[in-house]
Amino acid sequence: MMDADNPYDPEIAPSDWGEHAGEDQENVNKTGTTTVGIATDAGVVIATDRRASLAGRFVSNKKVVKVEEIHPSAAMTLVGSVGGAQSFISSLRAEVNLYEARRGEEMSMTALSTLAGNFARGGPYFAINPILGGVDEDGSHVFSIDPAGGVMKDDYTVTGSGMQVAYGYLEQSWHDDMSMSEAKQAAAKAVISAAERDTGSGNGLVLCEVTEGDVSITEYDDFPNPEEV
Amino acid sequence: MQGQNQQQAYDRGITIFSPDGRLYQVEYAREAVKRGSASVGIRTPDGVVLAAERRTRSPLMERDSVEKLHKIDDHVGIASAGHVADARQLIDVARRQSQVNQLRYGEPVGVETLTKHVTDHIQQYTQTGGARPFGVALLVGGVENDGTPRLYETDPSGTPYEWKAVAIGGNREDIQRRLEEEYDDALSLGEGVDLALESLAEATEDGFPAEGIAVSTVPTETGSVESLSTDEIGERLEALDLLAEEDEGDAE
Repeated sequence: MMDADNPYDPEIAPSDWGEHAGEDQENVNKTGTTTVGIATDAGVVIATDRRASLAGRFVSNKKVVKVEEIHPSAAMTLVGSVGGAQSFISSLRAEVNLYEARRGEEMSMTALSTLAGNFARGGPYFAINPILGGVDEDGSHVFSIDPAGGVMKDDYTVTGSGMQVAYGYLEQSWHDDMSMSEAKQAAAKAVISAAERDTGSGNGLVLCEVTEGDVSITEYDDFPNPEEV
Repeated sequence: MQGQNQQQAYDRGITIFSPDGRLYQVEYAREAVKRGSASVGIRTPDGVVLAAERRTRSPLMERDSVEKLHKIDDHVGIASAGHVADARQLIDVARRQSQVNQLRYGEPVGVETLTKHVTDHIQQYTQTGGARPFGVALLVGGVENDGTPRLYETDPSGTPYEWKAVAIGGNREDIQRRLEEEYDDALSLGEGVDLALESLAEATEDGFPAEGIAVSTVPTETGSVESLSTDEIGERLEALDLLAEEDEGDAE
């Protein structure tokens, strides 16, 4: 059960965990989703829509919060299978807590992103494509993590079915000295644009701001005026 | 007769406490450490020094085959005292864990984290039936990711201790006394090396041949384990008037 010597698996997990995950694909809730992460000098902004769907045809939930705190200075988005993403996040959170309890210091973003990549590749999770955003002593960082465990750091990144639309907006609006408030507006506009055209995204907005030691998440049931977020 | 066996069982089985709450096998393992030649660790603001006496039984033995200082990862070294074969097992545990940490987190392992992994391993051998404790003490010296020098000791009970300067092995008390007299928070790394050699010499009358000592440092500037060459050690010993002819003082 516990294997601290295996760097690719969570330390606290049964060995057969997730063995049947991914069977019966028709009934697996997916987030479809548009999630956006932007790193600024002052912190990280993450924005997501709120829709969950079955096979992209039926809206199974309109109030999903697809970004969660996983570390005192980091948050992660749920993208792909809801079950896979939820267990991925709870495992990472447990690892973050264990690391802090044992070593008396928080994981750096290098450590957290490496661990997340290892779990995505080797752990009992499936079909996830989250964004990880956080702040450590080296500054603000956003990473996209793909289902095979690829970890890519960037200044801004988008994952989910609405990514092309959101990237189209960000390519025009992003610049390298964005303030937190500019980043919040850009991230909100990117998600709202994607929700207009992507059937997997919609039903409102969640904005998350990460600064050193603080993760604050704001939920909007409808799309707010992006100039006022 | 059975009663007699029961009474003595705590002397043999390590998983059994004596009536006054002692684990004799662990205490015997500490005696094994005292029979080993000494190792010294010194922490300075500029880095950590590890030094060890290399004793040979015969002038025909190759000195280099007596390994007392071990590189664990780029930024950590370990010095040992006691059973060399037991030390080698722990050295490998430490080397593997350093690489596991790098794979898992993409970062070099912390010196404290590594030490505690090793001591947790040692502790298991004081509580497992059929096993015996490790007859070795280690000094774990290195530089953390943020450039902080750290020095730890492990003992056969599996307890980690952090030190500014410490000796393990034979004549530990004499060497430690010298360290306590001479240690200063502001030693340079070079002064730390000299203090290590001087304190090790407390256990001898004639000093050492250059080949009889091994010295490694982990400077904060580079964060990498560096070994002093025999020539460098010889020069330092000569300057300290501690250089003995090769194979002198080896009678023990």
